[in-house]
Amino acid sequence: MSQALISQVLIGLSVAAILAIAAMGLAIIFGIAGVINMAHGQFIMVGAYTAAVVGQLGGNTFVAIPVAFVVVALLGLIVERGIIQWIYDRPLETLLATWGVGIILEVLMKVIFGPELYYVGAPKILDGGIRLIGRLPYPYYRMFLIAVALVMLFVTLYIIFRTDFGLKVRSVRRNRAMSGCLGIDTARIDMLIFMYGSGLAGIAGAVLAPIKSVSTTMGFSYAVGSYMVIVLGGVGNLLGVPTGSFLIGEGETLLAYKYNAVIGQLLVFVAIVIAIRVFPRGIFGYHERR
Amino acid sequence: MPKTIRRRSFLKGSAAGLGALVIGTTAPYYFQRNIAKAQEGDIKVGILHSLSGTIAIIETSLHNAELLAIEEINAKGGVLGKKLVPVVEDPQSLVQVFAEKAKKLLLEDKVAAVLGCYTSASRQSVLPVFEEYNGLLLYPTLYEAQECSKNCFYTGAVPNQQLDDFVPWIIQTLGRKKFYMIGSNYIYPKETNREVKALLEKHGGENVGEEYAPLGHTEFSTIINNIAGSGADIVFSDLVGDSIVAFYKQFRQFGFTAADLPICTPITTEQETAAMGPENAAGHYTSFNYFQTVDTPENKSFVERYKAKYGANQVTNAVMEAAYFQTYLLAQAIEKVGNTETDALIFDGLPGQEFKAPQGPVKIDEKNHHTWLWARIGKAREDGQFDIVWTSQDRIRPDPWVDYLYPNKDCDFTDPKVLERVKKPWAEDKNRSGTIDL
Repeated sequence: MSQALISQVLIGLSVAAILAIAAMGLAIIFGIAGVINMAHGQFIMVGAYTAAVVGQLGGNTFVAIPVAFVVVALLGLIVERGIIQWIYDRPLETLLATWGVGIILEVLMKVIFGPELYYVGAPKILDGGIRLIGRLPYPYYRMFLIAVALVMLFVTLYIIFRTDFGLKVRSVRRNRAMSGCLGIDTARIDMLIFMYGSGLAGIAGAVLAPIKSVSTTMGFSYAVGSYMVIVLGGVGNLLGVPTGSFLIGEGETLLAYKYNAVIGQLLVFVAIVIAIRVFPRGIFGYHERR
Repeated sequence: MPKTIRRRSFLKGSAAGLGALVIGTTAPYYFQRNIAKAQEGDIKVGILHSLSGTIAIIETSLHNAELLAIEEINAKGGVLGKKLVPVVEDPQSLVQVFAEKAKKLLLEDKVAAVLGCYTSASRQSVLPVFEEYNGLLLYPTLYEAQECSKNCFYTGAVPNQQLDDFVPWIIQTLGRKKFYMIGSNYIYPKETNREVKALLEKHGGENVGEEYAPLGHTEFSTIINNIAGSGADIVFSDLVGDSIVAFYKQFRQFGFTAADLPICTPITTEQETAAMGPENAAGHYTSFNYFQTVDTPENKSFVERYKAKYGANQVTNAVMEAAYFQTYLLAQAIEKVGNTETDALIFDGLPGQEFKAPQGPVKIDEKNHHTWLWARIGKAREDGQFDIVWTSQDRIRPDPWVDYLYPNKDCDFTDPKVLERVKKPWAEDKNRSGTIDL
């Protein structure tokens, strides 16, 4: 394998990490609360703007991460209590309602922050990179993104598999009616999961802002990437997100390297369509017990 | 059934809230249009820029620049003793809505002319409307050229005005010959790069790579890896929109500095350099007719008045400046012919019209409906503004079909044969496209 190809694979890892960071919140909300959050991209956008505000007040990305988590989790709480809790059992309507929320958020942010692009810088300590292999230094910030993706994954796994709360979450996901009969407050579980997933979207916005552009319309492209990840990976298992991100991220990067970015994106789309034909519920599909 | 009642009252509440939001967001536009209600004898001018949707960011600033110019013209006594009245329409960044709104401006409001559009797609969607109903459009954006419509005047730059001096300057002054070209995947970057390649051949440069990213793409690690392997000593970028900021940021994170490998572009404006942050912008080059730092008395007062009206943190850029001065060119043309008759403006009023714009004196070409503009090269500073490192001796002639690529193509509205064709009413010759093909 040539050096350039190896460095390309490493770059692909960071692209996969970016996808995973963006998709995690969506996957949790979809997998457990059963809601496809069409406003997911806009939640990421709100997280990025939170980072921009934190930056203007003198804080850096490390400060922005918890702040964005709290801000967007609260936003998720408002959306869940205000709208979603009334329509959980009607998937089509949650789709439309969250889509509407997304549009409202975009307009609202434009009214508050104006239409111009915002600047979010990377923290000084993560400036620069280390020369591993090939021609390019590997930026510290991209390593940081891979670390963030792993931490997000393991913290979520820990919560779901090692805490009482997680036990209830798994039980609700397995059989909602029976869990309710056994005294689990399923509405509360849904609410907390919606908040947690939203908060993760906020973190995604905060950590991605320093390498991307921050505008009110930025959410859409992240949303598309996230939907692809969970469609491919499936939501039956939390490993669906890293698997889907890895396949898409590496696929897109290597194809873009071999051909070009336009062809790369096209071939990945084609591959996903074929994959859905083979795994209609994603690679880690989930079959509800009835 | 307490739950149902709660839901119903919730629905009522949210409906009221939503109603308030709708009124809140649309009210400003409603009032703008009300103010725009023309008195008998006023001259109506259509303003057709998106105030909502994806490209509202830039188009709102064009809209603002045009309203500022109209306000100034009226303060100085108007045109032919009458007031200019803007009729504002919001095409919402949707190509098909542009055409609908253009039709409405021409047929219902009967405006004297329309100042509008930003993207080539929107311009091309409204042109058939202007040609069918014989309206007049003034278009402020730099674009890929190769178009010539009787009903449109182009006040932004065409590629020859930004590239003919820029490419040799890079080769001779910067001493860099190996070009790596990247762009967004649509017509403007492809046409621009075609011209750059021709210029490279002419001036002894070398094309070491060419790559396009999908519109809106923000992940450039692979392209940067390819650039590193190409041996390029200069990156020529035609990226647009969200891609610009993401590319400059990632370019530096992968260890490139402007001193090692400068990015040269005909697109990146002050808006983007401000948004990408000083450490990512400084040292890269942009070629434009206008920068906010242009040192003319007209520009100083333009920037001052723009900031006074729209806020001290506002930044002016080349497209806004064109939007601003094209409003004046239109006013002068109406003044010259003494009425607002479309053909009089197209064949007599606008051609040859001159104005002391913020970038320097500009002139509409007598033949091809494009505009003579200045050429400048700016080096981005830490504060997001540009140091102007080179200015042309004189205004540059617009050439929609450059000779070195299209030797036998040109556009000449003084040619009697062309005139005979385009002056025929559209209805008599429906097969004719308004765009001249010679």
